[in-house]
Amino acid sequence: MGKKRKHSEAEVTAPVKKDEGAPQRPKRTLLGWKDKVEEKESDSTAFRNKEKVLVTCSRRINYRYRHLMMNVVSLLPHCKKDNKVESKESKGATLNELVELKGCSSCLFFECRKQKDLYLWMAKCPNGPSVKFLVNAVHTMEELKLTGNHLQGSRPLLTFSTNFDKDPHWKLLKEMIMQIFGTPKDQRKSKPYHDHVFVFSIVDDHIWFRNYQISVPHNEADKVDRGGLDKMTLVEVGPRFCLNPIKIFGGSFGGQTLYENPFYVSPNQIRALEKKQKAGKYAKKVKAKKRRKMHEISNPMEPDEFADMWKE
Amino acid sequence: MGILKKELVLSNKDAVNDDGEENPEVDISESESESEDEDVKLTERSKTSIYNRDGLLDKLGDISWPKDVDWRHKLSLDINQEQEVDVNDDLARELAFYTQALEGTRQAFVKFQSMQLPFLRPSDYYAEMVKTDSHMVKVKGRLLAEKRKIEEAEERRKARESKKIAKEVQAQKLKERAKQKKEEIESVKKWRKQRQRNGFEKDDQMGLTFEDGKTFEKSTKKRPGVGPADRSGGKANRVGWKGKKGGAGGKKGRDFKDSKFGFGGRKGMKKQNTAETTNDIKSFNKSNLSENKKRKR
Repeated sequence: MGKKRKHSEAEVTAPVKKDEGAPQRPKRTLLGWKDKVEEKESDSTAFRNKEKVLVTCSRRINYRYRHLMMNVVSLLPHCKKDNKVESKESKGATLNELVELKGCSSCLFFECRKQKDLYLWMAKCPNGPSVKFLVNAVHTMEELKLTGNHLQGSRPLLTFSTNFDKDPHWKLLKEMIMQIFGTPKDQRKSKPYHDHVFVFSIVDDHIWFRNYQISVPHNEADKVDRGGLDKMTLVEVGPRFCLNPIKIFGGSFGGQTLYENPFYVSPNQIRALEKKQKAGKYAKKVKAKKRRKMHEISNPMEPDEFADMWKE
Repeated sequence: MGILKKELVLSNKDAVNDDGEENPEVDISESESESEDEDVKLTERSKTSIYNRDGLLDKLGDISWPKDVDWRHKLSLDINQEQEVDVNDDLARELAFYTQALEGTRQAFVKFQSMQLPFLRPSDYYAEMVKTDSHMVKVKGRLLAEKRKIEEAEERRKARESKKIAKEVQAQKLKERAKQKKEEIESVKKWRKQRQRNGFEKDDQMGLTFEDGKTFEKSTKKRPGVGPADRSGGKANRVGWKGKKGGAGGKKGRDFKDSKFGFGGRKGMKKQNTAETTNDIKSFNKSNLSENKKRKR
């Protein structure tokens, strides 16, 4: 059933190609072939991306947001999906404990309030910063207008717009996004080949996310056809969402507030204001009538000479 | 309920905070009003907000990876977005994202190619995709349906226009025919007048074009049908005439009716037989005279 996986064959060929410099046979480790034993060894032992993301949501989450969460889970092979957490426990300590328990280094927590508003917490555990976002403009992968498709678990290319480098809070967000959304190299469940690209761009102080499939005419795995780069097209795979940063905290799910978005208005406030506006209609009408009356009394109209013309 | 104050709080770009630096693009500012007075769509609103620059940079240093990490781990690209994009213009916004992605992939592919790593999926590499096959079938179905709708709409539009044109052409033809008829009659009248004027002499010497009697012959190009007084039933009842019996196949057009009934339609449906048709027994099928017609064949 399904499709054949020639995954292992491809993986074997890939590192063998990289291994031009090392004379000896590359060491085999649990995470794959450890290549380039010489200078890179200090680098590869000192740095190995062991990022693991825990993805959870709160109870009473909307179907749309649940699908979004499932889409995110399918995009990140280095994530672990966990059960729903009780809304009382969605602050601080319990979530941190959960993350520790699962052995993850960061967390994406989808919190849905009033079944209408989705807040996304992005946190680096155990003591890293955390961010709370308001999520807007959600389109899931199941929409038929998003026609692209890509390998599940292939490592994405991450593109950021240059406004991320303008301010410290954007820089911090960029680093966090890169670590959370970027699949670690040689991750167990990751697939080779890069066939999709993420777009994170700041427009109007919101972070917009898009995911595109790359289709370029090619015959070999490591070379694009001549002129193929110009014929490259991108098809949108989804999902789509827009993040509005609310606050950045120094600790994981709490701690000192490092940044607060001054333009942020909570959706509750927006709804309350709209209601207030509508509710004042009658009062305004009464006031307007009174005003008109006062105005008429204070400026009486001159008697019209022709008023009695047609009277019997 | 209190009176709703609708003040627009304009941001003043003075520095306020702990750090004392000012940054015109970011939202550090001091508000003049209390936090309860808010406008509905808070585009210009700002209030005292925390912006701990040093703390942010500290944390950034904490979490970021070492500087000399191979790009292959990060796979991140920074693309310059030249123009400011209006958020509300959907097309422009999506276009900006698309170009950012395209630029990014181009740069990345150039890098990959220089590193000589495989990065493109071979056509025989089958693996699990992020969307299931059944979903992709639905997507395909929808795309095809859309295409079909567009094509049908196109066809309908073309048919409508061609009908319009055909009608115009037809109207033109009719006009011309009427004109011709008129002209012919006029010319006969003229000839008569001329003849009258010349006192009915020289009958044979008039080389007038219409004298060869051909004006009374209508052009044979038109329907070889039936004259007005012909009641034989026209084309339809001719022996061996197949295919047009009873107007089969939607051929109940004007032509057929004219040929069958003569100009003016069915005249008097009552009696149609003539001497020939009464004695015409060729249409009777000898083979089914003796057969049971009620049996379903």
